[in-house]
Amino acid sequence: MISVKNLKKSFGENEVLKDISMDVDPQEVVVVIGPSGSGKSTFIRCLNMLETINGGHVVIDGKDLTDKKTNINDVRTNVGMVFQHFNLFPHKTILDNITLAPINVRGINKKEAEQKALALLAKVGLSEKASAYPDSLSGGQKQRVAIARALAMEPKVMLFDEPTSALDPEMVGEVLEVMKQLAKDGMTMIVVTHEMGFAREVGDRVIFMDNGFIVEQNEPKALFDDPQHERTKAFLSKVL
Amino acid sequence: MDFRFDIVTDYMPFFLKGMGITIGVSLAGVLIGLILGLLIALGKMSSNKWIQLPFNIYINIFRGTPLLVQLLIIHFGIVPLFMSPSNPLVSLVIGLSLNSAAYIAEIFRAGIQSIDKGQMEAARSLGMTRVQAMKLVILPQAVKRVIPPLGNEFIVLLKESSLGSVLAAPELMYWGRAAAGEYIRVWEPYITVALIYLVLTLSLTYLMNYVERRMSTDDQR
Ligand SMILES: Nc1ncnc2c1ncn2[C@@H]1O[C@H](COP(=O)(O)OP(=O)(O)O)[C@@H](O)[C@H]1O
Ligand SMILES: [Mg+2]
Repeated sequence: MISVKNLKKSFGENEVLKDISMDVDPQEVVVVIGPSGSGKSTFIRCLNMLETINGGHVVIDGKDLTDKKTNINDVRTNVGMVFQHFNLFPHKTILDNITLAPINVRGINKKEAEQKALALLAKVGLSEKASAYPDSLSGGQKQRVAIARALAMEPKVMLFDEPTSALDPEMVGEVLEVMKQLAKDGMTMIVVTHEMGFAREVGDRVIFMDNGFIVEQNEPKALFDDPQHERTKAFLSKVL
Repeated sequence: MDFRFDIVTDYMPFFLKGMGITIGVSLAGVLIGLILGLLIALGKMSSNKWIQLPFNIYINIFRGTPLLVQLLIIHFGIVPLFMSPSNPLVSLVIGLSLNSAAYIAEIFRAGIQSIDKGQMEAARSLGMTRVQAMKLVILPQAVKRVIPPLGNEFIVLLKESSLGSVLAAPELMYWGRAAAGEYIRVWEPYITVALIYLVLTLSLTYLMNYVERRMSTDDQR
């Protein structure tokens, strides 16, 4: 589904991703963990070209993002992204937030888009908020809408960049619950998170990143219970 | 000092006609300035330095030189190339439009750049093109933030349009100077003209405050 080969990314002199290679199978849930500043966000932002790639290749669903001939907007319709700070459109109702891209990018008619949006809202438990504006929602509700908005494009992969880090603790659960359901439904997911419980329970594989490298990756149980590298051990001892 | 109201009443029809023209050229200037200004702002925000360059030069020239100089060059230097004799109203509208476009471009740019960059990223991550994201997500939010400074720019332009009198464009100030010349009087014509400008700018200020209040209540939805 996703194949990353020798991915490199620098901001000026600062080389943030040094040589990342990894693959993601269809329906796999990959959890990315690592200390702050290790390049996790930059890595998943490269997967939908929110950051320009300086070296290597990223192939998603057979399309190489670094190939000039690839239409990046087409690729992005297949790659949903959920941000730490939600980034809902504040001037649009919840329903319009969800239908905006399907109508304008996919060219779906309004009625059909709204029916689908309402179904997605029901799925994330927010049917009654369809005509509300984002400002009136709690953080957890906003993030669930953001997930519904991304799903409305019917992506083949979903990327999550610390989706619960900006939430009050009591709202983390409701968002993780939606993500768990999504994983159960067979969505291919890459999730950057500090929620080790989620990684253990939902992840098929956990990747530990540090300083621009993938240091270690394994099944959650193996990685958490028997880390092979010193840096992984040091990190886990701090967060577990 | 005796104040000769007869001068005011005699010239009132001209002052009112001039007021109409002042409003007309300012409105035309700000409307054309809005369109040009948006294009210039988008050009200046291009990621390509070479595309930015001409827009930067434009903004610097029109903000960095006096409007009076610009008007004289346009009226006596540029418009005669296309039109003879050159019409002072045409020159005035061109001058006001080009000048306000530079200021409005900066207003738009500041408004657009004040929108959180997560908005553009979210729009792009959903597959929107840059143009779609601008049109559907960024500009609708930026509009609210640029309305107050645009209102100020309109008020400034309305006052600056008085420079048209130098080109003999028959706007409000032109008739003030005409009356002053005919009667060799200072107070009556200039006080009257000043009061008319004041009424116009204060009305605009009230209108702007009303619009701003309306929009801030809209925001609370
Ligand atoms: N837009 C940017 N410009 C310059 N440096 C950046 C930018 N984004 C991230 N960085 C740098 O890249 C490094 C990795 O950041 P990031 O990918 O956000 O890490 P993480 O998500 O793991 O905390 C940090 O040193 C950060 O300062
Ligand atoms: Mg991050």
